[in-house]
Amino acid sequence: MAVEAFFAARRRISIPFMLAAIAGLVALLPLLGVITTALFGETADIAARDIFRYAATSAWLALFVGGATAVLGTLAAWLIVMHRFPGSDIFAWALALPLAVPAFALAYAYTDLFDVAGPLRMTMRGNMGFDLPFGMRGLGGAVFVLSFAFYPYVYLAMRAAFLNQSVNVTEAARTLGCDGWLALYRVALPMARPALAAGVALAVMETLADYGAVQFLNVQTLTTGIVRAWSVYGSTVSAARLALPLLATAALLLWIERRGRPGRLHEAGNARWRTLPVKNLSGRRAWLASAFCLLLITAGLLLPVGWLLFNALDTSPDWTRLLRAGSHSLMLGIMGSAVTVALATMLALGTRRLPMAARLASLGYATPGAVMAIGLLVPAGIIWNLMPDSGYIIAIALLIYAYAARLMAAALEPIDAGLTRVTPSMIHAARSLGRSETSSALAVELPVARGAMLTASLIVFIDVLKELPATLILRPFDFDTLAVVANNYALDERLEQAGTPSILIILLSLPAVIWLTRKIAFSRPGT
Amino acid sequence: MTVPSLTARDVSRIYENRNAVANATLKLHAGRITCLLGPSGCGKSTLLRLVAGLEPVDSGEIEIGGTIVSAPGKTVAPEDRGIGLVFQDFALFPHLSVADNIGFGLKNLPASQRRERVMTLLAQFHLEALADKWPHTLSGGEQQRVAIARALARSPSVLLLDEPFSGLDGHLRATVRQSVLADLRTTGTAVLIVTHDPEEAMLIADELALMAGGRILQTGSPPECYLRPVSIEAARLLGEATILPVRISGGVANTPFGIIPAPEMPDGEANAMIRPEALRFDMAGVPVKVVDVRFGGAFQTVTLAAQDLMITARMSGTSLPEVGAQICVSLDPARTVIYPS
Repeated sequence: MAVEAFFAARRRISIPFMLAAIAGLVALLPLLGVITTALFGETADIAARDIFRYAATSAWLALFVGGATAVLGTLAAWLIVMHRFPGSDIFAWALALPLAVPAFALAYAYTDLFDVAGPLRMTMRGNMGFDLPFGMRGLGGAVFVLSFAFYPYVYLAMRAAFLNQSVNVTEAARTLGCDGWLALYRVALPMARPALAAGVALAVMETLADYGAVQFLNVQTLTTGIVRAWSVYGSTVSAARLALPLLATAALLLWIERRGRPGRLHEAGNARWRTLPVKNLSGRRAWLASAFCLLLITAGLLLPVGWLLFNALDTSPDWTRLLRAGSHSLMLGIMGSAVTVALATMLALGTRRLPMAARLASLGYATPGAVMAIGLLVPAGIIWNLMPDSGYIIAIALLIYAYAARLMAAALEPIDAGLTRVTPSMIHAARSLGRSETSSALAVELPVARGAMLTASLIVFIDVLKELPATLILRPFDFDTLAVVANNYALDERLEQAGTPSILIILLSLPAVIWLTRKIAFSRPGT
Repeated sequence: MTVPSLTARDVSRIYENRNAVANATLKLHAGRITCLLGPSGCGKSTLLRLVAGLEPVDSGEIEIGGTIVSAPGKTVAPEDRGIGLVFQDFALFPHLSVADNIGFGLKNLPASQRRERVMTLLAQFHLEALADKWPHTLSGGEQQRVAIARALARSPSVLLLDEPFSGLDGHLRATVRQSVLADLRTTGTAVLIVTHDPEEAMLIADELALMAGGRILQTGSPPECYLRPVSIEAARLLGEATILPVRISGGVANTPFGIIPAPEMPDGEANAMIRPEALRFDMAGVPVKVVDVRFGGAFQTVTLAAQDLMITARMSGTSLPEVGAQICVSLDPARTVIYPS
């Protein structure tokens, strides 16, 4: 509070204030683009009925994936935080590894595995005389794939929430007559409810933003509709109209997620903090717990990646094309994370002076990449008309802009957390030691947040590697990334060829994911 | 006395229609330690922030070394005032070593001079062995020395310390305080220490400034303030006091616990402020009844009653009076003050 009071008392146009305002505007511009295009564009080629149908599918998908990730993620977090069983130390961070796998890669692998003419069902029909009653194409398949792709968001949020709970509260419940299960149900879970809402909101945001997986599984959502409206019909207005409900949902989800932040309602407070008592599981219960965690990792990572790898070994990949695409992915990843982290840092240093800017950036994060890209098409069109020869550079710049606008909030979070180590009195101290506002930001705040900036750039890097819809819409002609190559092969039904670029994405992002998840897994409150 | 290093004249600061600081006047002198004492919420931290330039003044002015640094509509930035600030939480930069923390404010000096200045400060505050350590590895007392050395690096004419000893544990606190203050006095800086602890303030201050409700009630040496507080409010800031309604006749106030000379007071109603240690055993004194006795080591806290009035006395001696007993006491006029009612 003292911080706000201090900055409120001397709120004036300083350099950090200006930079934060600029970063906020970066996030705002594409959203304004979408809204103006949708409202003031000429007649669209899309029927209201279609919008409704797409929206309904998106809603069902969000509902089912939200439910499934809530159950899987919570159960995993509860097992990991409060129990010891074979492998639990490894599972603690390995459960987050599916974050390295793009959802479309899971879709390719499972579609192939469970195909009517695929190996699994051929074997079943041949040897057991019985067939699975379902295939992967369709809403059910999409729910399956996205649930295993996105449960880590809930897992990480719930894990942090359980770790943050003070044992005293649980013990109080025990002395008041609740047994262990009842204490979980009546105390631990309700206390973690905000975290659950936040985790599920993230999973649902990702679900609504997904293009590659649902497109491949023949599920028509608002996001696939946007990409199709633009790429097939060339109608920016239709795309923008499809984007409007997504934007509204994004704002709603964001609101839910914000409410779930620690520090609100149910935080355990500053009560003396002790680790929750850990229960040693043995016998059948221990193996059940291990099996459940192994199932999640197998379904989200080992099985699909293994199958893609197995198939890819049989093919002779077009290495020239893959290397080119790989270098593009890497370039976009590095440039994207540099720009995004720079903007997020500007935002973080200025948030105390301009809280509104951070809120704008979060709205960008909740906005699907496809929507972001559509919002940028209008300014892009103007620039293209002005400078027709600069297509390539402008397209790359816009693409990086789209990544930055979308991922700024994701990068802002760790940087903000890192900056909490700088107390208001440290800034006052720097000021009294002869540094101006800008100079003390550079000499004290930036160096303290350095580690957090690395974390932030890794998060952005991973997301850029996996990004598909915005890249598809904004990329220059004939400019492929690994994700685009995989998507193109998959659309041509050349699944074994789609495996190699998918695996390359995973290989590029896995070290970063491992580093991040271990860091998250081993961090505890107060450290 | 010399020209003050810092003068705050009639400064006020208003928060939401409330006077956080109201017409405060304060002078700080080179080489002297001034303690700003008051209960929490009295405005002493706000006054410190006004002096430091962290907040603007709404009226009045602050002058440092002959230059007006704060006046309505004008606030010289903290970095341009030539003040040093030491915070309650010390606010050491976690990413810099002890030596780099101390050298932080010396950016404009050439490297060799900066090193020399840092070495001098390290030696002055007995920190040589810790030069390369990280702040989080230091004890509270060490952190405080670093914070003070850092604040003094630019040779400010005024050093401001906000509750500097409150972060330290009881035993450590006294030792650290003593040695830090001894080191501080050698620097010749004008020092302002904000504290809410009256005993601490009296122990360390050359000059006290008593503050309550945003106003400065009294300034003066600790004995002046303690023994001759200007008002009952000021008296209570520095320690326990019993206030008794008295009647003055012929230049003498009669109380049930003894008489107090009041030579310049007109006859009539008045209030007597009696410090607990003003009461002493005196065979020639007035008889009172012992209501309660608490053994406090160096002294005993004895509650005495006479004519429906009670008073707390702090008496030395090892033989405890018994509860219910009658003893004779008199008052030390040096530790009593009469105020017109």
